[in-house]
Amino acid sequence: MRSAWLRLILLAAFIAAGFLGWHYWFPSPERVIRKDLTELARTASFSANEAPLAKLYNAQALGKFFTPDVLISFDAPGASERMLQGRDQLLERAMGARSAISSLKIEFPDVNVTVAPDKESAVADITVKGRIEGEKDAYLQELRVTFQKSGSQWLIRRVETVKTLS
Amino acid sequence: METSEETAPPPSWLQVVLIGRRPTRTLWRIVLLVAVCFVVFNFVLLPIHVEGVSMFPTYKENAVNCINRLGYVFHEPRRGDVVGIRLRAGRHVMYIKRIVGLPGETLAFHHGHLFINGKMVYEPYVKAPCDWELPPVTLESNEYFVVGDNRSMPAADHTKGRAQRKFILGKVLL
Repeated sequence: MRSAWLRLILLAAFIAAGFLGWHYWFPSPERVIRKDLTELARTASFSANEAPLAKLYNAQALGKFFTPDVLISFDAPGASERMLQGRDQLLERAMGARSAISSLKIEFPDVNVTVAPDKESAVADITVKGRIEGEKDAYLQELRVTFQKSGSQWLIRRVETVKTLS
Repeated sequence: METSEETAPPPSWLQVVLIGRRPTRTLWRIVLLVAVCFVVFNFVLLPIHVEGVSMFPTYKENAVNCINRLGYVFHEPRRGDVVGIRLRAGRHVMYIKRIVGLPGETLAFHHGHLFINGKMVYEPYVKAPCDWELPPVTLESNEYFVVGDNRSMPAADHTKGRAQRKFILGKVLL
């Protein structure tokens, strides 16, 4: 009787380990995208004491999240409407921002990912919370991000602002 | 005849303080409390932490409050209600705004004064001088116009506008 229980427990542990292992080594597209967004937020954030070389490296590192022809359209309260076309233009702006602002902390408190049936593209609705050093208010914006599968990676093809209050 | 409970030594004061005289009963109380808190703070009262100054002076930065999700069970939102408006991606972050325009109404700001269907509306909660200009906006049947109480900031920097009914989570409690 005791050995039967032991076998049952071992079997349950084996199944649980297999399930966790499967999810770890073969993550779902949604999980990969969420992980990428977390890393993007970390890469886009920077502190005041970042060394100039690290600043350059981290700004360039942003490029790996986007397709070469990425399109970013930005229209939010308090900012003029902007459109960025291509990864190079984006990196140029990212470098400019790192020079103009002393520190920036980006967070994505809410992420809602919808993967297309063909699993080749996905759309993520995300809430962006940005805090600039010295400013009292945190900056809040909703974005709709379109991902495209490129090999084993999911790259951002399009970013557009969403107006909750139109 | 003595029962085992009668003969058992009295529990130490530390046990009484930490887990009570009857640990099983304490455990059930904890389970019940956790369940009640989970239901209340997820489905009835959503705790919020106010960030930003758009609702100043009604709600100051870092204030703590709750959104009453049952606030609109028996009636629809009313003018003057301060509501929580969720964003599309989720509800970890939400806007706290005041409803100034109801479905079907036409709303405008002229010289900082609110006009509903062409008539000026007195807003006692607005304390700061305001010079906003906003052309008339007509609301759809499922839309409310929401705005913060801090009208001293430039209109372009202030997040305001039409909110669909489905995004209004509930009424701010306090």
